[in-house]
Amino acid sequence: MSEPARNRGVLPAEEETVLMRFAGQVFQPLPSGGLFWPAQNALLVADLHLEKLSSFARLGQMLPPYDTAMTLRRLAADIARTGAQTLIALGDSFHRDEGVATLLEADRARIEALNQQVDWIWLSGNHDPAPHALGGQCYGEIIIDGMTLTHEPRRGATGLLAGHLHPAARVVANGRTVRRPCFVHDNRLMILPAYGASTGSINILGPAFRGLLNWPSLEVAMIGKDRVYPVSPKRLAAG
Amino acid sequence: MPLSPIITDWFAAKGWAPRAHQLSVLAAHQAGASALLIAPTGAGKTLAGFLPTLDDLIENPMSGLHTLYISPLKALAVDVARNLTNPIAEMGLGIKVETRTGDTPASRRQRQRFDPPHILLTTPEQLALLLSHADAARLFGSLRRVVLDELHALVTSKRGELLSLGMARLAQLAPGLRITALSATVARPDLLRDWIATPLPEAETQLLTASGGAAPDLSILKSEDRVPWSGHSAAYAVPALYEAIKQHRTTLLFVNTRSQAEMLFQNLWAHNEDNLAIALHHGSLSVEQRRKVESAMVAGRLQAVVCTSTLDLGIDWGDVDLVVQVGAPKGSSRMLQRIGRANHRLDEPSKALFVPANRFEVLECEAALIAVEEGKQDSEDPVSGGLDVLAQHVLGMACAAPVDPKALHAEIMRAWPYRELSWEQFARVIDFVSTGGYALRAYERYAKLRPMPDGRLRIAHPGIAQQYRLNVGTIIEEPMVKVRLVRARGQKSGATTGPIGRGGRMLGELEEYFIDQLVKGDTFIFGAEIVAYEGMHETEAYVSRSFSKDPKIPSYAGGKFPLSTYLADGVRKLISTPEDWKLLPDQVRDWLSLQRDVSVLPGRDDLLVETFQRGDQHYLVCYPFEGRLAHQTLGMLLTRRLERARAKPLGFVASDYSLAIWGVSDMSALIRTGRLSLNDLFDEDMLGDDLEAWLDESQLMRRTFRNCAIIAGLIERRHPGKEKTGRQVTVSSDIIYDVLYQHEPDHILIQATRRDAARGLLDIERLGQCLARIKRHIVHKPLDRISPLAVPVLLDIGKVPIFGEGRESAMADAADDLIREAMVRETTGQ
Repeated sequence: MSEPARNRGVLPAEEETVLMRFAGQVFQPLPSGGLFWPAQNALLVADLHLEKLSSFARLGQMLPPYDTAMTLRRLAADIARTGAQTLIALGDSFHRDEGVATLLEADRARIEALNQQVDWIWLSGNHDPAPHALGGQCYGEIIIDGMTLTHEPRRGATGLLAGHLHPAARVVANGRTVRRPCFVHDNRLMILPAYGASTGSINILGPAFRGLLNWPSLEVAMIGKDRVYPVSPKRLAAG
Repeated sequence: MPLSPIITDWFAAKGWAPRAHQLSVLAAHQAGASALLIAPTGAGKTLAGFLPTLDDLIENPMSGLHTLYISPLKALAVDVARNLTNPIAEMGLGIKVETRTGDTPASRRQRQRFDPPHILLTTPEQLALLLSHADAARLFGSLRRVVLDELHALVTSKRGELLSLGMARLAQLAPGLRITALSATVARPDLLRDWIATPLPEAETQLLTASGGAAPDLSILKSEDRVPWSGHSAAYAVPALYEAIKQHRTTLLFVNTRSQAEMLFQNLWAHNEDNLAIALHHGSLSVEQRRKVESAMVAGRLQAVVCTSTLDLGIDWGDVDLVVQVGAPKGSSRMLQRIGRANHRLDEPSKALFVPANRFEVLECEAALIAVEEGKQDSEDPVSGGLDVLAQHVLGMACAAPVDPKALHAEIMRAWPYRELSWEQFARVIDFVSTGGYALRAYERYAKLRPMPDGRLRIAHPGIAQQYRLNVGTIIEEPMVKVRLVRARGQKSGATTGPIGRGGRMLGELEEYFIDQLVKGDTFIFGAEIVAYEGMHETEAYVSRSFSKDPKIPSYAGGKFPLSTYLADGVRKLISTPEDWKLLPDQVRDWLSLQRDVSVLPGRDDLLVETFQRGDQHYLVCYPFEGRLAHQTLGMLLTRRLERARAKPLGFVASDYSLAIWGVSDMSALIRTGRLSLNDLFDEDMLGDDLEAWLDESQLMRRTFRNCAIIAGLIERRHPGKEKTGRQVTVSSDIIYDVLYQHEPDHILIQATRRDAARGLLDIERLGQCLARIKRHIVHKPLDRISPLAVPVLLDIGKVPIFGEGRESAMADAADDLIREAMVRETTGQ
C-alpha cells in the first residue's frame, strides 16, 4: 500500500495510511481499532466483547442488542478493505461465554459469512475462556513468525501482541483535549485497543499499565474518525 | 355557605379577617369546583389553599386522608406544616398534619400508608411512590382535595409531567376529588387552568386571581465607573453594591450562575471593611453549608446573601428589604418572582436594583425594567409530555396492580401533558417497559411485564417493583466529583505518580463534565478561591491553592436560562429606537451611536450580519438575540454550511446576543461575488440534514440521552451497596446512545432525547422561530474593521469554550507535533 502525499495544515478528507514498526515487522493500525499485518495478510482485533449489551438483560436492564451487529459489520468492512485472509481475535471476543448462545440469528449468519471469507482464529480471554463451535479454530495463545499473540499483556516478552487492557490516550493541543482509544507499543509489547462497539477504555497513563511498557521507546497511535493519528508521548495527559 | 364559626372566631381573636381571594377559594370548593389561584408572593396563598380543608373537616369530620399537598420543595412542605399546625392547635381542632419527604424515617412512611393523617404534605416523587403500592386505592379512596403549590414552577419540567400522571391516577381513585392549585403570575393562566382541569373533566375549574400588591420600586445601578464591554463579573459595581448592602437591613443578591456567585462573593468580601455578615448560597455547596446559611437568614443574622436560582422559590425570609439582580435579568417573570422575595407583605413595595455586568446587559436591564413595570409575563408554558417520564409511570402503575392497557391509556390522556397521546405511541411505551421495545424482539424471556389470561399486564416478579422504587423521580443529578484542596507538590510538571498531597479540606462538588475538560495546572474559581487542578485521585479531584489572579477556565460561563423571547424583542426595539436611548448611560449611548455611524443598527425584525477582516482571519458576526444555547446550535450548523461553501471556518463563539464565526476565507468577498448567499446560509432547511448530521456527533445529545435513559429505567440510578461511579454510567450511556441512535433512530428514548434537546441544551425550537422570523430579512454590512457591537463577543474568544473544527484537530495538532519532531531528528541525523 502506498502512502499518499501528506497535505499539511488541512484535515484529510480521506483516510491516510499510518504504519507502525514493531519488533522488526510492519503493521497498519486501522481507525476501526483493528491491526492489519500485511506480511501475514492477517487482521488482528482485540476485545470484541460481542453480546455485551444483551448480557445485561438477565439483570433487568434491556440495553439495545445491536452492538454485536455493529462490531461484526465493522469486521466485514475491514476484511473487505484489507483483503485479509486470516482474522485473529485476541480474546474477550464474547463478553461472556454464554454470549455464544444468545447470538441473534442475523448475527450468527454474519459470523458464518465471515468464516467463508477468512480463517478465523479465536484466542481465549478472561471473559470467554471456553472454546466454541462457531467456526474457525480456538486457541489459548499462538506464535506466528516469531510474534506471540495472546489476550493478556505481560512484561518482558519480545514481540508480544495483546489486548485485554482497552488502552486509550488523552492529548491536549491548543487548549483542546481529546481522549480516544489507541494502539500503544514499546517495540517489545504491542497492546491493541478494544474493537467492540460497546467497549470502554482505560488511559495508558493509569495504574493498569504501570510497569508494563518501556516509556522511552513508546509509540502511540490514536483512533480518529477516519484515520489514525500517531501522537507524541510528550503530549499525553492523564484522565 | 359561610365559613365555620370556629375559623371566624380564630380570625377575630387574631384581629385579622380572611382576604377576598382566600374566601373565593373556599367558595369554589363549596361549589364543588376546582380552582387555580394566581397570586403574587406574600398574598397568604398557603392559608387560601387550606381554608377549605379546615372548614370541611370541622363540618364533616372523617378519618383517613382528606387533603394531599404537593410542593416542589421539601423545605416548603415542612414550612407549610409548621404554618398549619399552629392555627389548628389554636382552633383546638383534632386535625392531623404530617409531611412525607425523602427525609421522613422509613417507619413513619410505612405507617402513613395504613394510618394516614388528614393532611399529608409531600413532593411529586413521593406521590409517585405512594401510587406504586398495591394499597394506593385504599389510601387515596377517601381523598377530597389536592393542593398543588408553586404549580408554575412544576409544569415547565419533567417533575410536572410526572405529577400530571399522578393526578390522572388520583382522579381515578377518588372521583370526588377537587384540585386547588396555587401559582405565581404566569403568561398563560388559561393553560395552567386546563392543566388542573384535564384530570377531572366533569368538574368546573375556576380561575381566581388575587390582586397584585404595591408596584415594585425598581432601578438600575448607576455607576460612575465604566461599564465593561463584556464579561459577567460586574466587578466595577462592587463598591456601589457594598454601599447599597450597608444601607439596607437584608439584601438578597441574585446572580445567574455559580461562578458569578463565587466571583461576586469574593469581590464583596474584598471590600468588606465593616465585616458585614455576607453569605453565599448555591447548588454546589454542601447541604449542611446551605442549611446553615438559611437558618442564619431566618434568624436575621445575615446582612446579605449572594445566591443563584436555589433561592428563587422557597420559604418566606420575611425581612429582605432589597433584592439585587446582578447580570442579565433573562426574563420578566423571573425578575418579578425574584423581586417578590423582598418584603413578603403585599402592601409594601418591593425594592429591587438591577446591576448590568456589561453593555449589552445594560440594554437588557432597561428592557426588563420596562417589562417588570408593566407587569409583563414571559414565563414558559407548561410542557407536553415526554415518553421517558411516561415509561416510568407505566411501570409504577403495573407495580401497584395489573394494568389493562386500554384503560391505562384512557386514564393517561387525562394528564394534560399527555392529552393527545396516541394509542400507537402508548403501545410502544408499553413495549419499551416490557422488553426494551427494540425492533428485534430479543428480550422476550426477560420481559418485565407479562400478559395475564384476561389481557391485563402484570410485573414478572416483585424485584421489578423494588427496582422501580429505587429509580423513581425525574431529577437526575449530574455525576458530581468531590473537590479536595491539597498542597501542590513541587513545581515540576510531568506525569504524576501516586497521591499529590495528603489530607486537605473538601471544597464541595463539581460536575464531572467540567472536571473532565481540565488539564493539570488549569485554574478556576471554586469555594470562593482560585484553585489549580492537580488531577483525579480515585473519585476525588485534587486542586491546590493558586497564586494566579486570573482564573484561566471560566467555570460555567454564561447562564442556564436563555434570554426570554419577550426581553430579546425589547432589546432589539431599544437598539433600533434611538429616541429611547436617552434612558441609557452616556457610554452605552455613545457605543450605539458609534455603531450607527460605522455600521448599521440591528433592526427589530431583521438580522444584521457583519463581515470584516481582523489580523489574518475573517469574521462573520450576526445578532439574532435568541440566547446563548440557540446561538451555539446556530454556530454549529452555520460552520458546517460554511465549510461546504468553502469559506473554511475555523471556530465560533456565542453569547446571549450575538454569534461570531471566523475563518480563513474572505467572507465579504464570497458574499459580494455571489459565491455565498446569506439567504441560503440562514435558510430554515439547516434544521433538516445539517442538524441530523450534527446530532450524530453531538456530545450534548449524549448527555441529554443519559437523563432520559435513567428516567425511563433503561439505566439504573446509583444505588447504595451497588455503587457504580458516575464515570462508568456516563461511559456506558454514551455507548448505548451510539448503538441505539445508529440502529433505531426512532426508538422512543431517542424521540424523548430529541424532544429534550430541542427545548433544552440545543434550543432548536427557539432557533427555528428565529430563522422563520428573519427569512429574507437579512441585512449584510461588509466592514473594513470590527464594529462596536461586535467587540463584546470577540472579547469572549479565549474566555469561553470555542467550538467548531471538531476535536479531531487536537489529535491532528498533536500528530503534527510528532512529525516536526521526527523531521528535526532526521535533519540533525539523530
